Amino acid sequence: MIVSSLQREMIFSELEDVVGADHVSTRQVDQLIYSTDWSWMPQMWLDRGLIPARADFIVHPGSVEEISELLKIANAYRLPIVPWGGGSGTQGGAIPTYGGIIIDLKRLNKILEVNEESLYVCAQAGINGTQLEWALNEKNLTLPHYPASANCATLGGYLAPRGSGTISTKYGKAEDLVMSMQVVLPDGRIIRTPGVPNHASGPDFMRIFLGSEGTFGIISEATMLIVPLPETRLFRAVLFKSIGDGIEAGRRMMVDRLEPLVIRMYDPSSTASLVKKVLGYELEGAYMIIGFDGWEEIAAAQEKRAMLICEALGAKDLGREPGERWWNHRYDFYYPPLGLHLPQMYGTIETVTTFSKLEDLYWAKKKAIESHFGEIGIRYIGHFSHWFPWGASLYDRFILEETPEDPKEALHLHNRIWTVAVRTSLENEGMINEHHGVGLKLSRYMRAQYGPAWHLLASIKEALDPNGIMNPGKVGFGVQSNG
Amino acid sequence: MGDRHAPKPAFIENPLQVVEYCRYCLMCRHVCPVGHVTHNETLTPHGWALMIASAQRNLLEWNPEAVDALYKCADCGLCRTHCATDQPLPTGIAGARAAVVEEGLAPESVMALKEALERWANPFQRATPESPIKTGEDAILVGDAAYFRTPQTLDAAMQLLAATGVEPIQLARGRNLGLLPSSLGLSELAAELASQTIEEIKSTGCRRLFLLTPGDIYTVTRLYPERLNLGLPDHLEVIDLAAYLERSQENGLLRFEKIRGEGPYAYHDPEHGARIKRNHSAPRKLLRSLFEAAREVSFFWREDRAHPTGVVGGLNWVQPDLARDLTEARLQEAIDAGARFLFTEDPLALEALRAQADGRIEVSGLYETMAAHLE
Repeated sequence: MIVSSLQREMIFSELEDVVGADHVSTRQVDQLIYSTDWSWMPQMWLDRGLIPARADFIVHPGSVEEISELLKIANAYRLPIVPWGGGSGTQGGAIPTYGGIIIDLKRLNKILEVNEESLYVCAQAGINGTQLEWALNEKNLTLPHYPASANCATLGGYLAPRGSGTISTKYGKAEDLVMSMQVVLPDGRIIRTPGVPNHASGPDFMRIFLGSEGTFGIISEATMLIVPLPETRLFRAVLFKSIGDGIEAGRRMMVDRLEPLVIRMYDPSSTASLVKKVLGYELEGAYMIIGFDGWEEIAAAQEKRAMLICEALGAKDLGREPGERWWNHRYDFYYPPLGLHLPQMYGTIETVTTFSKLEDLYWAKKKAIESHFGEIGIRYIGHFSHWFPWGASLYDRFILEETPEDPKEALHLHNRIWTVAVRTSLENEGMINEHHGVGLKLSRYMRAQYGPAWHLLASIKEALDPNGIMNPGKVGFGVQSNG
Repeated sequence: MGDRHAPKPAFIENPLQVVEYCRYCLMCRHVCPVGHVTHNETLTPHGWALMIASAQRNLLEWNPEAVDALYKCADCGLCRTHCATDQPLPTGIAGARAAVVEEGLAPESVMALKEALERWANPFQRATPESPIKTGEDAILVGDAAYFRTPQTLDAAMQLLAATGVEPIQLARGRNLGLLPSSLGLSELAAELASQTIEEIKSTGCRRLFLLTPGDIYTVTRLYPERLNLGLPDHLEVIDLAAYLERSQENGLLRFEKIRGEGPYAYHDPEHGARIKRNHSAPRKLLRSLFEAAREVSFFWREDRAHPTGVVGGLNWVQPDLARDLTEARLQEAIDAGARFLFTEDPLALEALRAQADGRIEVSGLYETMAAHLE
């Protein structure tokens, strides 16, 4: 914690020595812009004329060695460190809650190797997702991780919160695509995980950094699996009368290992609102997109089997155009004014569970949210995406049009809604999150999520970051790690 | 293709309103050229929008640091081009700059440009010639950069047009068309310069208006109606010179002696080309028709994601360091791609690229090269 202006200037000089004067800022305007990420809380705070949190310094290192030196300085002064990629997190993971140093990784944006034989790309963690993708596309390759945040997120930001993309159902989450990483530990040591992800040479310590959201170290480089751009991508839309039938159809596609690229089913509320607003279709029921990719004849055969499943469960085939339209406009849902935006209050309270509990979880959350907050006009919508052979993600949201003007009152209400949502997820054996991460928003639920196992994570934190400098207040860890 | 039949863009009455949508949106970050060279969150579309929204909420005062950041947007239009809902953020930023000018808080360099534009109608502080009193079917907008900085570009364009049987009247010679002052928040001055140009166009009675650069096309077809509430005569067909020449070459009206250069070459899409519906293949086809065997190499930042040099948005006057970085990024991109020759047609970009190339790559004007090899 900085206690005097003299000390502040002394620290500034040390930071400047590491990265150069052009790459360290204490400007008011930079502090303002770096005070918020894509989450509702700081945006609402700013909207009501309050600054959520200010970093003391915003630093742009140009090499992994510079990151290492910055962490040593931070340890010496017990200064909080907040790693920053694209600022596209929705859980407040990049908010400098306790001030300190924001380390913006965007200067580390180089592609270091594209290996077309073993099909991987090695790049620095600060590279922008879409820029990386475009560069791979020039070689007819793709990193099959297509999150809605690709235009703004960075490679490090894909991995730190264990993100999912639109086509994760076939290719896996970001964590399934990573082969190896370079990480700067809190004490400044630079380590590399093994060059291959699958081996039997002891525990897989790479995994502890995935989902740690900068609390265990800073991911500075990653090697990711890539694939050739497919010969074809086939999309169709179908309409189910009930979400139960849709879940069963998705389950059969997954357990039959049809390898769908996408299964996305909007619940009737989303179909009537979002699908109508963005895609222009007026439909009653649960709108499902099904996609397959790869070799034309194989994708066509997979699609044929999937359609038989849907037909057997009473789905109406809407044809190819509504599926392709969704694919071509899949990110439009996030552009203003189509996406959720202030003055609305909203939260993506998504979760994941097994097939046997998925529908019950949906109804329980819908009932909990609507019964607790129905009187104030809350809306609950959701879709099912990111399917696994054992279950799927329920990507659900609450939306409130009228919100309290007082920011504290608004924040407290937001937290109350989240608490109801998270408790209901836990009671129904859902996880508190599937792919947006924990950040600040879900930090307080981590002990409830893990129970006695929380001690294991807390012990790792204590061992790696005894001074508690790394992204304090996030992922369940406090300012000083205290288990 | 001319865009005579394109719908006229609507006037944006309250440019500051747009920032309410953009302040928390990050979806165009990937294409911002300034963000790409500065790596700074503040200097991205979201950063500028949040700054403006915060100033409106008294969270940020327009102190010199904040004003400096506000004046680092290049007004290149890429954010809007890549916005799924077509949010006119560059116009919002220009609106915020206008408010800063109004409050007397604009940088000195902006006020110096204002003075020059008011006195000379161009930033080069050179006297503009008398307008020609002529009428005719065809006209070409000259503007200030081609007239004062690269007259050889204009000469080449005239020579190429003549070879196709067109001898246009030269309009707005030495006069800024209004984009520069509009970008800098000098909206009244922009409107005045634009009005003079429109009057001059009307006085000729021309039906076809040839334009040297995408920046000029953007200015007269989009900026005039959207930011200045001004319009061109309805009957006027606006023609991208490069597209016209490519058609003429296809039709056999233009023939070139082949260039026997051995080195690979690259083409820099001119500034503002991404914000209009441009036929990006036209200048590339023209270059292919010029070279006998030389290999064409591509920029990563090309066509509808083309990054500009530092001559956009007045950066070369107001933010010279940033302008240099942007121009250097384009040069480096060409060099990294293996190009020995670099072509473009925007006069100011041509000048900036040449000045910074320092013998690393040979920079040439597209029109000049074509004119020099006319059969």
